[in-house]
Amino acid sequence: MLALKSVSRHYGQASALDGLDLVVPDDSYVSLLGASGSGKTTLLRIIAGFEEPDTGTISLRGARLDGIPPHKRGVGFVFQNFALFPHLSVEDNVAFGLRYREERPVRDKAEVRERVQTILDLVGLEGLGRRSVGAISGGQKQRVALARTLIAEPKIVLLDEPLGALDANLRERMCDELHAIRQRLGISFLHVTGSETEALLMGDQVAVLADGAIAQMAPPDDLFRSPTSATVARHLNAFNIISGTVREGRLRSPVGALALPAGIAAPDGQPMSVALPYDGISVKPRRDEASDGISARFVTAEFKGPSMLSFFRAADGSLIQSLVHLSEPRPPRYEPDQVYALDFDPELLIAFPERAH
Amino acid sequence: MESRLLKPALAVYLGLFLLFLYGPMIVMAILSFQGPTGGPQFPIVEWSTYWYQHLFGQISGSRVSQLPVGESLIRSLVLAVMTTIVSTVLGVMAAQAFRTRFAGSGPIFYLFVLGMIVPGVLVGLGMALLSNMLGIDRAWWSTSFVLHVVYTFPFAFLVMLAIFNRFDRSVEEASLSLGVSPAETFRRVTFPMIFPGVLSAMLFSFTLSYDEFSRTLFTSGPRLTLPLSIYGTFSVEIYPNVFAFGVLTTVFSFTLLAIYGLLMMRSVARNNQQFKGQEA
Amino acid sequence: MDLANQSNGAAIDREGALSPARKRARRDEVQALKLAAPGILWMTLFMVLPMIMVVYVSFWTQTTFAIEPTLTVDSWVRFLTSPTYLDSIVTTLFIWIVVLASTLVIGYPVALLIGLMIRNVTLQTALLVVCIIPFWTSFLIRVIAWRPTLGTEGAINSILINLGLIDTPFTSLLFSELAVVIGMTQIYCVFMVGPITFMLARIDHSIIEAARDLGAGFGKIFLRIILPLSLPGVVVGAIFVSVMVLGEFATAAALSGRKVNMLGNIIVSQVGSLKWAFASVAGVILTIIIAIVITTLLRIVNIRKEM
Repeated sequence: MLALKSVSRHYGQASALDGLDLVVPDDSYVSLLGASGSGKTTLLRIIAGFEEPDTGTISLRGARLDGIPPHKRGVGFVFQNFALFPHLSVEDNVAFGLRYREERPVRDKAEVRERVQTILDLVGLEGLGRRSVGAISGGQKQRVALARTLIAEPKIVLLDEPLGALDANLRERMCDELHAIRQRLGISFLHVTGSETEALLMGDQVAVLADGAIAQMAPPDDLFRSPTSATVARHLNAFNIISGTVREGRLRSPVGALALPAGIAAPDGQPMSVALPYDGISVKPRRDEASDGISARFVTAEFKGPSMLSFFRAADGSLIQSLVHLSEPRPPRYEPDQVYALDFDPELLIAFPERAH
Repeated sequence: MESRLLKPALAVYLGLFLLFLYGPMIVMAILSFQGPTGGPQFPIVEWSTYWYQHLFGQISGSRVSQLPVGESLIRSLVLAVMTTIVSTVLGVMAAQAFRTRFAGSGPIFYLFVLGMIVPGVLVGLGMALLSNMLGIDRAWWSTSFVLHVVYTFPFAFLVMLAIFNRFDRSVEEASLSLGVSPAETFRRVTFPMIFPGVLSAMLFSFTLSYDEFSRTLFTSGPRLTLPLSIYGTFSVEIYPNVFAFGVLTTVFSFTLLAIYGLLMMRSVARNNQQFKGQEA
Repeated sequence: MDLANQSNGAAIDREGALSPARKRARRDEVQALKLAAPGILWMTLFMVLPMIMVVYVSFWTQTTFAIEPTLTVDSWVRFLTSPTYLDSIVTTLFIWIVVLASTLVIGYPVALLIGLMIRNVTLQTALLVVCIIPFWTSFLIRVIAWRPTLGTEGAINSILINLGLIDTPFTSLLFSELAVVIGMTQIYCVFMVGPITFMLARIDHSIIEAARDLGAGFGKIFLRIILPLSLPGVVVGAIFVSVMVLGEFATAAALSGRKVNMLGNIIVSQVGSLKWAFASVAGVILTIIIAIVITTLLRIVNIRKEM
C-alpha cells in the first residue's frame, strides 16, 4: 500500500500540491485524472523521489519513502517520452536495471538473458531484442519502457501519461495490455492521465486531482454515478455544471430557473451547483421566454463516432453541451443561431450544495 | 533583394576572402620546397625537399642551424595531453555542477569564462611573479601547465554546458528509478550520451594547448615548448626550414581534425539512424 | 548563558524543521558546489592570484636588476611620464580600432553571404568550416606566413611585377603597421564572421520577404531588419576580436620589425630585461583598457537577452 499524507509542494508562490492525501492499495490499478498543470506529474515525481515535498509524508508498505534517494525507493517509473537509453539496444535497455542496480545486481549473464526474454515475451516484443531503440516504433518503445521498469520488480509502477505519445488506435490496444500485464504481475500501477476516458477505462479506482488535492477517489462507475463535487463532475467531461442560488425550491441560475430533484430540500438563498449530464438533455423547439428551463442558441455540433455532441450558448454566454446517441430513431438537425429549449428530467440532476460565502 | 547582382558579387567577394585566409599558407607551402641556395622569398631557385630534410637533421654542414623542434615537440605533445585530460575532467565536472542552480553560480560562471578572456601575457606575467615570490622554479610541466588549463578549461566547460543544455534529464531519472546509483548512472547513461561533447572539449583543449605560447612565454623556464621554439626564430632571420615546419605542423593539425571529424560523423550517422527509426 | 542556549535551540529546531524539499535542494547545492570546487580552486589559484600579483608588484620598488617589496608609485609615475610608454598605449588603441574596423568591414559581407543568402544548409556548414579551418592551424605559423607574402621579394610584389602592374616592388608592405593590421585582420576575422553568421542564420526569411513585398529595397531591408538583428553577433565578435588584439604582441613582433610596440610588446621586453615592476604597470593598464572596452561593448546590446 502506498500512502501519501498531507503532501504539499510549492514552486515559489505557486502551489502544485496542497495537503494531498492518497492511498494506492496493493495489487490495484489506480488512475489519477487531472487537468494539465494540476500537479499530477509533480505528484509522481515526488513519489519516485525525483523531487521532495515541502511537507507531508509518503510511505510504501509501511516504510517511509520521503527523504530516501530515488534509486533506493523501489518505485518504477514509466515516462511520457519513454526516456529510453538511446545508446543501448532494446535488450540492453531492458537488462539495464538488473545489471547495474545497487542492490542485488544480477551478474549471471544467462540469468539476465533469460529474464529479459521472459519480460520481452510478456510485453509482446519477442525477437526485437537486438534492435536499436531508435529503430522501433512508438508503441514498441512504450513496451520497452514498460519492460525495463517491470523487470526490476518494483513495488509499485508510476506511469506518467504513458499513452500520450501514441496514436489513438495504439492507445486502445495498450490500455488492454497494460491491464492484463498488471493483473499477471500483481503489482500496483498508478497511472496519471489528463484524459477522462483513459482514466475511467483503466482504473479499478479513479482519483481526481484538482487544486492540489484529491477531490474524490472511487471506482469508475461510482465516480460517474455520484461525483461528490462540481469539480469532480467537471473533470469527467460528461456534465454541464450550472451554478446558482436556491429560491422557492428551484435553482435560479444565469441560464434560467431549474427544477431540482425531489428530496433536495435546500433553504432559500443556498448557493448550489448542479451537474446536468450531456446525454440527459432533450432539445425542443423554442418555448416562450417567461417559462422555466434553459433556452439556448445552437452553435455547432461535433460527431464523436456513434454519438453527436451539440453546443448551445445560453443567454448569459455560457456553453451547454448535449450528447445524442445516433442509434436513436431520428438524428436531430439543429439550425444555427436558432434558439431551442433544452429540457431534462430534474431527477437526472446531481446537486452540490455549497457553503455560503 | 537585387539578388541577381548581389549574389554573384558576394560570391566573388567570398572567393577573395578565402584567398586572403589561405593565400599566405599557400605561399608558405610553395616556398617550403625552395632549393638549398634559395632564401625565404621568391623566386624559387630550384624545387627540392632540401628544407624538409634539413628539418629532420639529414643535412650536415648547413650554414643554417637546425630548428630545435625535436624535444620541444615532445614537450608540447605531453603538455597538450596533460592539459586536455585535466581541463576536460574539470570542464565536465563544472558543467555538471551548473545543471543545478546554486548560490553564487553567476559569479562563478564569470570566474570560469574569464580564463579564456584574460590576455596570455597578463596571467603569464602574474604566474612568473608569483613563482618568483614563492621561490618555485618555472617549468613547462608545472607553471605553464596550470596556465594552459586556465585557458582551455573555460572552452571545455562551455562546450559541456551547451551539451547539458540539450540533455534530457528524464533518461537519468529512468536509470535512478531502476535502482541504479547516481554514480553508476553517470557512468552508464550520462557519460555515453555526452561523449560527443567530451570529444569536442578534448579537441578544443588539445589544439589550444598545443598552439599556446603567450601564457607559456614567461612560465616555461629554460626548456621550451614547440611554439616557443618557433617564436624564438622570429627575432632572427628566417629560413625556409620554418616554412617546411609550418607545412608539417599544419598537416598534423588537419590530421587531428580529420580524425575528430570521422568520429563525429560516425556518431551523427548513428543518431540519424535513430531519428529515422522514430519517423517510421 | 540562558539566552545563548535558547537561540541555539531555536537554530536546531529550524534545522530539524527543514522541509524535505529544502533538504533535497540544499543537498543538490552542496553536491554542485563540490563538483565546481576544483574549477573554482584552480581558477582562483592560477588566474586570480597571479592577476592580483601583477597589481601588487606594480607598486614594488624597481632597481636595475631586481624588484623589492617596498611599496611605491615610482614605476607608475615613470611609466605615465615616459613618451615611449604612453606611445605604446596609443599604438595599442590605434591597432585595436583599425583591426576591429577591418575585421568588421571584411567579415560582415562574408557572414551575410553564408548566414543569410545561402539557404542550403550543407553548403552553409561547408563554407563556415572552410572559414574556421585556419583557426586550427598554428597561430605563429600563420603569422610567419605573411613574411614571404608581403616581403619586398614576396608573393604579392612578384605577382604584381610579373603582371606588369608595377615596376619597383612595394617596400613598405612588410615591417610596417600595415603588415601588423593585415596579419591580425586575417587571423581574427573568423571570430567576427562566426557570431554574425550565427545571428544572421536565425533571421526568419519570411520577414525579409514580407518587407520586399511591401516594396522595401535592399538598402532599407538591410538597415531596418538585417543590421539590427545581427547586432548582438557583431558585439560578440567585437568582444572576441578586441580581447585578443589588445593582448597581442607576437604579430607586432613578427611583422613590424619592432616598429610597432603594443602594450603586450612592452610587457615582453620589460620582462626580458627583468623590469618586473614596469611590466606589471603595463599589465594593469592593459587590464583596465580591456575591462573598459568589454563593458562598453556590453552596454550596446543585452547579449544575455538576445542570445
